[in-house]
Amino acid sequence: MKTLQVALLVAGVWLGVAVYHVQIDNLSGYTTPARSWAIVVGAWLFLFTGTFAWFRRPANRLGPLMAAAGLALLLRQLRYSHDSALFTIFFVVGELAYWVVAMAVFAYPSGSVIDKAERILIKVGFGVTFAFTLAILLIYDGSRPLKFFDPSPRKSAILVHGNGDGAVALQKAFVIVVWGLLAAAAVALIVRKLVRATPRARRVLAPLLVAAIAVALRAVFESVFTFVHRPSAILYDYLFWWQIAAFVALPLALLFGLLRTRLARASIGDLVLELERTPPQSIGAALARALGDRTVEVLYWLPERSGYVDTSGRPAELPKYADRAVTRLKHEGEPLAALVHDPSLLDEPRLLEAAGAAARLALENARLQAETRAQLEEVRGSRVRIVNAADEERRRIERDIHDGAQQRLVALALQLRSAQRRLPEESDPEVDRLLAVAVSELQVAVEELRELARGVHPAILTEDGLAAALDSLVSRSPFPIELDADEGRLPAPVEATAYFVACEALANVVKHAGASNAKVTAHQHDGMLVVEVSDDGIGGARANNGSGLSGLADRVEALGGKLRVESPPGGGTRVVGEIPCAS
Amino acid sequence: MLFREGLVRVLGDGGFEVVAQVGDASALHRAVIAEKPDVAVVDVRMPPTQTDEGTKAAKEIRERHPEVALLLLSQVVEAKHALELFSEQPEGFGYLLKDRVLEIDDFLDAVKRVGKGGSAIDPEVIAQLFGRRRARDPLAELSPREREVLALMAEGRSNRGICEKLVVSPKTVETHVNGIFTKLGLAPASDDHRRVLAVLAFLRS
Repeated sequence: MKTLQVALLVAGVWLGVAVYHVQIDNLSGYTTPARSWAIVVGAWLFLFTGTFAWFRRPANRLGPLMAAAGLALLLRQLRYSHDSALFTIFFVVGELAYWVVAMAVFAYPSGSVIDKAERILIKVGFGVTFAFTLAILLIYDGSRPLKFFDPSPRKSAILVHGNGDGAVALQKAFVIVVWGLLAAAAVALIVRKLVRATPRARRVLAPLLVAAIAVALRAVFESVFTFVHRPSAILYDYLFWWQIAAFVALPLALLFGLLRTRLARASIGDLVLELERTPPQSIGAALARALGDRTVEVLYWLPERSGYVDTSGRPAELPKYADRAVTRLKHEGEPLAALVHDPSLLDEPRLLEAAGAAARLALENARLQAETRAQLEEVRGSRVRIVNAADEERRRIERDIHDGAQQRLVALALQLRSAQRRLPEESDPEVDRLLAVAVSELQVAVEELRELARGVHPAILTEDGLAAALDSLVSRSPFPIELDADEGRLPAPVEATAYFVACEALANVVKHAGASNAKVTAHQHDGMLVVEVSDDGIGGARANNGSGLSGLADRVEALGGKLRVESPPGGGTRVVGEIPCAS
Repeated sequence: MLFREGLVRVLGDGGFEVVAQVGDASALHRAVIAEKPDVAVVDVRMPPTQTDEGTKAAKEIRERHPEVALLLLSQVVEAKHALELFSEQPEGFGYLLKDRVLEIDDFLDAVKRVGKGGSAIDPEVIAQLFGRRRARDPLAELSPREREVLALMAEGRSNRGICEKLVVSPKTVETHVNGIFTKLGLAPASDDHRRVLAVLAFLRS
């Protein structure tokens, strides 16, 4: 490969020198050493930059294409040779050089022309150019110059039927079709490509703007010197140098574009160092910097779910639309992660590969973290569901007690009472006594059931909310308790949790604290419901295992909150529950 | 169902004429319109949701047919609900635990009271209101007997009702009532409703 590249360079340099002489010898009056060198240098730049790109990135066809364009541009100039055979050959194939340039332009930066319209344009370009030049030569008898600056007429080697005027007319038609219509189409396709590109792709595609300018300038140049018989020397000079400048700039711009991606690859080295000290949630940002694509997102593969999750462990879908591209990273044949990025990065597979390889270890770690997070998320979710299900169950039990057992017992007691009252005067007083006892026992049972139901889940909590339920709770306490609670409803699990915290804490106050004063508050602030029960009792309470408060701590934590017990000996007790209540 | 039958029997035995018995709110509205009863005894929990259909139906009847007295029966009573219900129109209104029916004489008395435009508030509600904390609690200045009398007043009972309940002479009750009004700083009320209102207003403050 290297030998071929070196041979190409050597051949190109030699050919350039030869072409310079062909021009100087045959275009006297229209060229100068400077102009001739300029053309050669422009072609050389294509050759050199192309070979360089080829050398650096052998897998990318853009390098060889640019080198080929350089050679073709040099060979094209042989059409000015006096030699009939050279003239004939390079008149036909010479103009094709521009389509090799077009191929390189449209293949930038990936190395192949992907867009369908662009491929069609190039095929049509090659076909039309070849057909026109061949047709011209079939009738070109050398009786008059094809363009005003052509060297003294030469004869076509494949002349069939001489027709000088016809050949000139065909030449004009050729310029109209190729440098009018097709060149305009090429510019339009370049503009379209730039307009459609994502911001990152547009930065990469910027060199194509130079190409569009070069094509346009060349088209103007060709047209002017085809249709204006003898343009002024100043105009000629002016147009000549502008189009040369554009054609010199084009390979440099393309090379710069390629170097940019080389720079990006150099940033992979920085990436490796950076990842050493990057926390897992910032890997995406580090990759974004290294790839020059701010939109990079990392999704991790979770084998047990057969799906992707994002950095925080939430399930994520791979994008399905063409405005985002996905690169899947594997580790030992197993999916590891997916990079979601700008589609333009697909043109630089090596860069992506390098970035993926550099980040693999960090990604593996981050994936484990994401996996743990996902499991945690799941456990959290199921804790909340368990709490909710338990609440729902409590509500159901409360309803069942009221509507079932309690209702029946009252009805039964009422029947016994009616029976008792219908006893005749002369009946056994013992029967009356037994019935009375049965009714009062049932009354006690009903009262107990009512207390049980209230303990399970007070109806007023469901119906009127936390403030009302707390009000009802404190007004049943054996000693007066101060209450300060915000009105307004909160999600049912939050209300229920806060209520049971207050309930349990108050029960402890009554049972153990030896307090004479207690206070219950429930306030919302910063998206948290803070419920607090404080007393002036003996203190020394703890939320140890098995106590009612430790069960409630679990419940509060399930909702993402915290339960604190502050109870210095002799200093009273403060139970504080903080429950997120974003509604 | 069983409870309703028992209730009908109790009311019948107690000398009331039961003109209709119905199972849900819309049937209740129709019965009220058709029969124009003196008193409607309504369970708070009714189909279909078994939550507070009865309360809603009762509020509607109060608005459309203020002449019909209402006695709400509930499995649980809450002071908050009682105050809401009574603040709108305390005359001819009662709110009792369902199992109060078992004390048949008390219950029949409450139905009568309500039917005559009086009120009947469950002792449980009064206990809750007594249990509330006040910054300076004048209830603490009452003697135990006075507290009992205050509770019975708050339930909506007349002096005569209180006499019977406490088995004391009307004179004694009157003395207690005056003592209570003086200690709580309430203006003496001429009739029973005003008295209930004054006492409730005091207890909720």
